[in-house]
Amino acid sequence: MAAQRTPSQTVGPFFHEALRWKDGGNVTFAEVGQRIVLTGRVTDGAGEPVADALMETWQLSPLGKTPAAAGDARPHGFGRVETGKDGSFRIETSMPGGDAPCLEVSFFSRGLLKGLRTRVYFAAEDRVRADPVLKAIAGSPRVKTLIAQPAGGNRYRWDVRLQGEGETVFFAV
Amino acid sequence: MNDMTRPDAIDPPYLYPGYKSTLARAPREALVEVPAGTLDVPGPTVPKGFVKDGDNDLTIHGKSAPLGEKMVLTGRLLDADGRPIRRSLIEIWQANASGRYAHPADQHDAPLDPNFLGMGRTFTDDQGRYRFVTVKPGSYPWRNHPFAWRPQHIHFSLLGNAPVQRLITQMYFPGDPLLAIDPVYNSVPDEQARKRMVSALSLESGIEEVALGYTFDIVLGGARATPLGI
Repeated sequence: MAAQRTPSQTVGPFFHEALRWKDGGNVTFAEVGQRIVLTGRVTDGAGEPVADALMETWQLSPLGKTPAAAGDARPHGFGRVETGKDGSFRIETSMPGGDAPCLEVSFFSRGLLKGLRTRVYFAAEDRVRADPVLKAIAGSPRVKTLIAQPAGGNRYRWDVRLQGEGETVFFAV
Repeated sequence: MNDMTRPDAIDPPYLYPGYKSTLARAPREALVEVPAGTLDVPGPTVPKGFVKDGDNDLTIHGKSAPLGEKMVLTGRLLDADGRPIRRSLIEIWQANASGRYAHPADQHDAPLDPNFLGMGRTFTDDQGRYRFVTVKPGSYPWRNHPFAWRPQHIHFSLLGNAPVQRLITQMYFPGDPLLAIDPVYNSVPDEQARKRMVSALSLESGIEEVALGYTFDIVLGGARATPLGI
């Protein structure tokens, strides 16, 4: 029997302890891979830090597989962090497999009545533009908002703008 | 173009001026359409040991019982085809009976309850059922507009089986007069959809002489993500 979907509501400002997972920003896998660190800041339409967002990541394993359940800890392949007072976040994970390696990213926060879905890529711009998921914007300058910038060693930088100039691409899902 | 432009709009729009915090945070660019199914990937599988015994009872973590009306909250997690979503993680959080969260950012001048932290988690069972024991949360004022008070509510976080099913929502209580003035609740454009966020009083699902009973079923999108045959 068909059922009608339950609507989305904002996560509000008081989710932190309830949704905090131990070591949620250190994403683990069954496989060994190249460890990378992604940092960045989330800002709003006024350029102010979004200091109370929940960020979740999901990705393929280093060998390009869907991570399976493991152990008694949090799920493999899944990251969950809170932004800090300055809107900053930090995720340590393994470089995902695939032609255009990327993390699936969601943001939830006060003022967002529904989560925002996006992606961050660790690949050259031409590879990213060739990703079939981005077909609708393959020729747009906005594609750049989805690409992490190498920041030395195993570090990458990705800033997220919810609204306004340089607004990050979000997906209709 | 966001969900509001779709005939089957169920979710709120990102920009809803009645809820002030949306003004600077709602994207202004159109959400980008992706080819059908391309983001329809399986989701994280939460290990069984992630939830401990007692995590679904919010009333047993202090030295004595928390203040307030004790209640049992039960329901089912379903997909859009009405099939149960099995062994899926549900996380909840809420204010105490006085309308205060055990959270450093909550400055409302109502008492904290040392016996109530207001957070719980559980897995659904093989029929998609879940059960929490808690106390009824209080209403509380917020600064959205003059005399703004949030209706009593419990926050729900659902992982479902896949990212397309991921949902964060709020559960409300039947007959709450504050629903009529709440911009968060009323940001959902369709009245029938709003009512699906309201729980039902169900005395028989409570505990005789101990706890009130409420039921709340949750329906997630992305029915294709429900694994067959398990």
